Amino acid sequence: MIELLATVFSAAFFLTVIRTSTPLLLATLGGLIADLSGALNVALEGIMLVSCLTAVVVSVYAPWYVAVIAALLAGAFLGSVMAFFHLRLKADIVLVGFAINIFASGATVFALTLATGGDKGSSTNLISKPVPALDLSFLGMVPGVGGLLVRTLSGHSVLSWLAGLLVFVLWYFLYRTSWGLQLRSVGEHPSALEAAGVSANALRGWSLVASGALAGLAGAQLSMFNYVGFTRDMTAGRGFIALGAVLLGARHPVGALLAALLFGMFDALSVVMPGLFNWIPAELIRMIPFVVTIVALILFSYRMKLTSTTFDH
Amino acid sequence: MSEAATTRRWAVLRRETGRALGAAIIALAVAFLIILFSSKTPLQAFATLTTAPITKVRTVGLWIDDVAKLTVAGLAYSLVFQARQFALGVQGQVYVGALAASYIALSPLGQTWCAIPLGIVCAMAGGALWGFLPGIAKARLGANEIVSSLMLNYVAIELANYLIRVDLTTPNSRLLSTAPFPSTAVFPALIPNTRIDIGLIFALTSVVAVWFALYRTSWGLKLRLVGHNSRFAQYAGIKEAFIIVSAMAASGALGGLLGAMFVEGRSFGKLAVSFEGNLAFEGLLIAIVARNRPLAVPVAALFYGYLRQGAQLMSIRTDVPSEIIVIVTAVIILLVASSYSVKPRAMLAAITRSSRPARTHVEAVK
Repeated sequence: MIELLATVFSAAFFLTVIRTSTPLLLATLGGLIADLSGALNVALEGIMLVSCLTAVVVSVYAPWYVAVIAALLAGAFLGSVMAFFHLRLKADIVLVGFAINIFASGATVFALTLATGGDKGSSTNLISKPVPALDLSFLGMVPGVGGLLVRTLSGHSVLSWLAGLLVFVLWYFLYRTSWGLQLRSVGEHPSALEAAGVSANALRGWSLVASGALAGLAGAQLSMFNYVGFTRDMTAGRGFIALGAVLLGARHPVGALLAALLFGMFDALSVVMPGLFNWIPAELIRMIPFVVTIVALILFSYRMKLTSTTFDH
Repeated sequence: MSEAATTRRWAVLRRETGRALGAAIIALAVAFLIILFSSKTPLQAFATLTTAPITKVRTVGLWIDDVAKLTVAGLAYSLVFQARQFALGVQGQVYVGALAASYIALSPLGQTWCAIPLGIVCAMAGGALWGFLPGIAKARLGANEIVSSLMLNYVAIELANYLIRVDLTTPNSRLLSTAPFPSTAVFPALIPNTRIDIGLIFALTSVVAVWFALYRTSWGLKLRLVGHNSRFAQYAGIKEAFIIVSAMAASGALGGLLGAMFVEGRSFGKLAVSFEGNLAFEGLLIAIVARNRPLAVPVAALFYGYLRQGAQLMSIRTDVPSEIIVIVTAVIILLVASSYSVKPRAMLAAITRSSRPARTHVEAVK
């Protein structure tokens, strides 16, 4: 127990938490935009997976930032496919999302086989590049707290910083711009927006594209920083956990950040625990993020129910 | 039934069949294009995909065995979708059901005549529990059933992996599966020397049972009302919470049955790690193509099971990976779930129409 506490309060664990939270946060922000516009994006999982592979394959031939942009575009493209089938052809968003997930699980393996020349499991014979970590060792010159600043702030992925920035950008967009107001109202009451002369469909379409792009960034972080390379089904349910984080974060960017950090922390625990407690079976440790998501979802729904009944009567 | 109603029914049936076949043809065309660009022997690969399953008795057996399983998976989704609950927990229920059936089969009871009936009952109870959990969370607290059921899938898979490794294998064995079940706990074959076993009978019985429950009982009527118009169902005094929980638990029982059909069926006869091979999620396609109608589920399963078997044979005999079938699945789901039309002109109009939501709103009011 002491070892666990020592690990949890170490700077290395903090780095791990930020690393595991980043893809969750990016995907959660993506889910948040779609959810606010009234379309639950269950395809986060599949979009992340496709972007993971896109990032790996592109980074073999191009610099890392091109690979990140390619992952983002792949995500945005899948978002637009969803928008097309949901908004133009009136398909149910959950079914479209699952078609994308099913497509992603098979198409990534198919494409991986072609790209590696027969390997169905991983991209070990492709030499892909990582996203660089931001080196802030100059902070060590700050008197007194310099060492602490370097240990906690230096060494995070560039995308982690971007994700943190995006929380603020998204908050500003949603609560300080008129487009943000429109986006929030299209999910609540689309006909009011249409009466004001704004196209609800266009707004929903763009938010699905943005949602896909953010999930794409999440995929890039996953396959270019957390693990450099692609393995079959490497997202392992993170897209669905992000969906839970959207609900848990009370559909607010800051809430999304907190929820992603919470789930990221348990994900990080499942990374460090096998080393500390080798008597706990690996399978049970791998279960932790999923069980935590269910428990958090149930507690949150219970709280929501309590508050709504107090206000009703 | 009146004459007009019968005619209308036939018209709907014709339209839906046309749409499903159209979607299948488009999806196969997509598959053909992908094979053309990725394979060295595209024609041979495509021929294997479309004709191989019926060439031998053995492969026909594999096909029909898949059809029985796909049917039960499709029914499990149809049941919850008819209540408009997007519970996607069939995969988890299959694992829990398989675990329950395996514990019975590997216990002393597994060597007696009651191995199969008891195994199936326990598997269905386990699956029903796994369906009940997200159901009660949704009905009592409003917890989103999509997220909770998907999380439970992962929990069930890890649970199965753990129990297989620690509890169910013989010590020190490196195999990721249990010992073969005693012959009393394996389904007897219906047709000798094929994989076709009494699982097929269970599948057909399930079709009739689900149809009867949905269309000939008051529970089914209430369930469909909740799915069709939840507000109306509330005004009519239907206990929505009970319907949601019971629908999800009943669907879970079907998932559990599927688990038992997997491990006790002749194709396995044991419990192995990740045995279901993504079949549980492919049941989603069956339910969507069958429009959640229990009687249409086996027909959809028959067609899809054929393609699925063809794809597996193709990946063995040619250089095209079997994952191509998944791309076909996704295209079919997208087309059937959307309002695409087999008439090209109507389709073009749907794609190119300017989006004017105000008009659709008026249409909705009409």
